[in-house]
Amino acid sequence: MTVVYPLAIGLTFGWLLHKAGLARYDRIVGVYRLRDLAVLELMLAALASAAIGVVGLGALGVADAVPVPTPALGAALIGGVVFGAGMALSGFCPGTIMVGVGEGRLDNLVAGSLGLIAGALAYGAAWPTLAPRLARLGDLGVTTLPRLLGVAPWLLALLLAEVAAGVLYLVVRPRRGAADAS
Amino acid sequence: MITASLALGHRLSGAAAYQQLAGAAGRAVAPAAPYWRHVVGPRSWSWDLWAWLGVGLGAAASAVASGTFRIRTMPDAGWEEVYGPSVARRWAVAFVGAALTGFAAGVAGGCTASLAMSGGAVLVPGAFLFMAGMFTGGIPTALLVHRRRGPR
Repeated sequence: MTVVYPLAIGLTFGWLLHKAGLARYDRIVGVYRLRDLAVLELMLAALASAAIGVVGLGALGVADAVPVPTPALGAALIGGVVFGAGMALSGFCPGTIMVGVGEGRLDNLVAGSLGLIAGALAYGAAWPTLAPRLARLGDLGVTTLPRLLGVAPWLLALLLAEVAAGVLYLVVRPRRGAADAS
Repeated sequence: MITASLALGHRLSGAAAYQQLAGAAGRAVAPAAPYWRHVVGPRSWSWDLWAWLGVGLGAAASAVASGTFRIRTMPDAGWEEVYGPSVARRWAVAFVGAALTGFAAGVAGGCTASLAMSGGAVLVPGAFLFMAGMFTGGIPTALLVHRRRGPR
């Protein structure tokens, strides 16, 4: 099962991301240039549905301890800034490298894979000195917003879905015509 | 997909597969280094790598089905207008960009799928700061790069 499940999830994920054109340089960079928001559209829809899905799972008693990263706030922000800069340069994120490889992109397969491994190795080398400092930048421990705020998870999940839908409707949709035409 | 993965007790992650690969290299080069032995570790080696392989196969199936599969060394659109036709330049920038995301995934503890999406779905505070950071770093970079117009 440790082969079938991840392989099946990966296959579906790869198929969907390829259909959405997420292997394309111009599509990824288009988000950061505020020209083509298709990626944002997909991310918001996925985020909203996953948030609702997780609440559903919780209600069913499944996935109480979900294995997601819980970085210190400062580490998440700094990591995000560097991550975004890297994505805007390369035109892929770690997850979409393989989507491009599946489409036949050798720049992803060679330069992208080696670059990611090099970056991960560099972090591993810096880890003993870097990690304790990063952990001090606003560490909340293993927690979630509902627990921090004392609000029911389903309420916040619904709010998140509402906000995502609002952004889709007000920001992404009006720009869609222009992006499709170009 | 994210929900399905979480239901099975895992998070979908793009960066993790590369961290696992780097971890294998790290353990071979520096067997005593605690990061590769305890932090990355071999704990979800098979899960992350099977999912990673699946993404490539799923994308390949979609590409073949839609007739867009083609071996290529450069992006199809948006690249040459800014960076010119040099393949070496594309590969150098792709390497540097990928290295930045690989390093940053270590700093933040996750990537787009594992932290922003999976973490966001579970309403982990860091996920939303990570997303804010992605745009704070990505927008100026993209605008700066694409300010240069015409072939050089």
